[in-house]
Amino acid sequence: MPCSGAGVCDRTRLRADVAPLLQLRARPLRIALVGNPNVGKSVLFQRLTGKYATVSNYPGTTVALTKSRAVIGAEVCDVVDTPGINLLEGPLTEDERVTREVLGQGGADLVVQVCDARNLRRALMLTSQLADLGLPMVLVLNMTDEARLRGVAVDAAQLSERLHIPVVETVAPEGRGLPELRAALPLAARPRAAHACGIEHGAWAGTMASQVRRIQPVPTGRFQEWLGRAVRQPLTGIPILAIVLYLTYLIVGVFGAQTLVGLLEDGLFGQYLNPVAVALVSAIPFTFVREFLTGEYGLVTMGLTYAFAIVLPVVATFFLVFGFLEDSGYIPRLAVFSDRLFRAMGLNGKAVLPMVLGLGCDTMATMTTRILGTPKERVIAITLLALGVPCSAQLAAIMGILGGISFSALLTLFGVVLSQMLIVGFLAARALPGDRSEFILELPPLRLPRLSNLVTKTVVRIRWYLGEAVPLFLIGTALLFVLDRAGALAALIQMARPVVTGALGLPSETAPVFVMGFLRRDYGAAGLFSMAESGALSGAQAVVALTVMTLFVPCVANLLMIIRERGARTGLAILAAVTVIALGAGTALNFGLKLLQVTF
Amino acid sequence: MQGPLPLTALRPAAAGRVVRVVRDLTGRSERLAALGVTAGASIRLLQRFPVFVFECDQTEIAVEGAMAAAILVEVDEDVRPRPSTVFRRRR
Repeated sequence: MPCSGAGVCDRTRLRADVAPLLQLRARPLRIALVGNPNVGKSVLFQRLTGKYATVSNYPGTTVALTKSRAVIGAEVCDVVDTPGINLLEGPLTEDERVTREVLGQGGADLVVQVCDARNLRRALMLTSQLADLGLPMVLVLNMTDEARLRGVAVDAAQLSERLHIPVVETVAPEGRGLPELRAALPLAARPRAAHACGIEHGAWAGTMASQVRRIQPVPTGRFQEWLGRAVRQPLTGIPILAIVLYLTYLIVGVFGAQTLVGLLEDGLFGQYLNPVAVALVSAIPFTFVREFLTGEYGLVTMGLTYAFAIVLPVVATFFLVFGFLEDSGYIPRLAVFSDRLFRAMGLNGKAVLPMVLGLGCDTMATMTTRILGTPKERVIAITLLALGVPCSAQLAAIMGILGGISFSALLTLFGVVLSQMLIVGFLAARALPGDRSEFILELPPLRLPRLSNLVTKTVVRIRWYLGEAVPLFLIGTALLFVLDRAGALAALIQMARPVVTGALGLPSETAPVFVMGFLRRDYGAAGLFSMAESGALSGAQAVVALTVMTLFVPCVANLLMIIRERGARTGLAILAAVTVIALGAGTALNFGLKLLQVTF
Repeated sequence: MQGPLPLTALRPAAAGRVVRVVRDLTGRSERLAALGVTAGASIRLLQRFPVFVFECDQTEIAVEGAMAAAILVEVDEDVRPRPSTVFRRRR
């Protein structure tokens, strides 16, 4: 290569420029972690900054920027974790646009490109485009352990020589190569790529990859290979899906919603905490305050009991199972089966990602719809999430109540909810203007999840749930208490009677629970849970009430997120549509069950 | 040796090299290129139903029929036989 000599000189000159550890800057050096989806940018971000970013094994876990400070050498830097991107040019989804904007609008002074060592050609195509930005770069070959297992060996030294930038090999989850990366950052330089050689990105990447990479075909683990095939082929994949769902039900619905809830609600709260609270509070001379803390709508007896005893156990077990599935790489494979179903609803198989994520939290999933190709697809997916996908906290209440009644009650609820989603999706696909995009999805390798990541992720999510939900539970309880005292609750019950008692066939006390359901669906559902427990709801009534609650918009936070992502007009239209559908479906279900005399 | 075939015409386990990806206004070729499916890439079909699943370089990719049809492949003659023998050959 005739150009290499000049390049090395270039690099030495740059090194002299950058090498001083302390430099006077107007603001901290901004380092962007950029790379193809699912190569481990977020793990590296955690390792560099010590700040947690959600990590999973599928493309699209990060859909927005995460920033944090880090000290590198003696310098304070701002590290930015970006959504994965394959190309800087051409048709981009909204999450990819986020990355392009950061890079294009001068949001970074230095680019650390992270790549999966197995997919060097793809990574180099991106390197070549990044090179055109003219920013100093460092290339990180991540997952070198997995690459080696697959018989892929990359000559990092030679690659560095040819690109004229530092190339560092890492295994991010174990922190291997991190000190080398920190040491390499001050040596970052502008890479020589396709344009410097006057050829096209793809051709350059192909040649470069073949020069520095050797692939020896190795037999992958027989079991891993068999499993990889079994989960994506319908004949074996669908039974496997059924087993996965059933195991999830056993862990979340039986162990979490029944065993743990029983222990916490009747045991810890029923026998110890609530009596102690009542005893402590009885010393307070004001009835009003006593009622506020431990009465029917008391902060402790209702708010805290709901949050910690009814919802928390299910949410925690769910997050654990969910984290396992996320990290295993199983979820994207569901897209293979569901593509045709989603096509009928104006979407494609990729939509399975936000839908399944919605089971964790609809608000987050609403943001994840950014990975979908067209605005039409995003509106449909957001509507379906708001309408039919129960979040973990709400699943808690559903499992808790209906698990105790019968399996057919559960099936009825999910049957009605799924059919509503299908109908709404089918109609929306035809009524809304715009197109659906064609299905294309990368299937990440199947992996055995790392226990440490699983535990961290679950703990972070539980903490997030506690921070997000508990305050709202308490505000909700306080609001109910005030409404009750002011006599407004009675008026409200009176007002809602035609709908609640007439159309839905529910006891009139359900009205305040529905009001709370507007604040957070799971809070309303927890209210139904305690009503069902005290025998105020019959089996059929519980099914109707929960179905209506599931079909409502999940919570205030979700509504705000919809408005943020799609604008107020679309947001309010979705809210109105979803409310009408919820009440309509509930009414139909009520009369249907009465007609057929189903009692569960 | 026959000319390039669309991926949709291949049997599972057939392998070869991408000759070209049909370029049109749908943006298909760009989206495939983003995942590394460009001329010269090695490719192996894994599954045809319910969607096409193939391995390109070291990446497993699922696409619907219309996209698979845009990928033109030169099939390796020696990896043509039935899937069962291919499996034995690989080990």
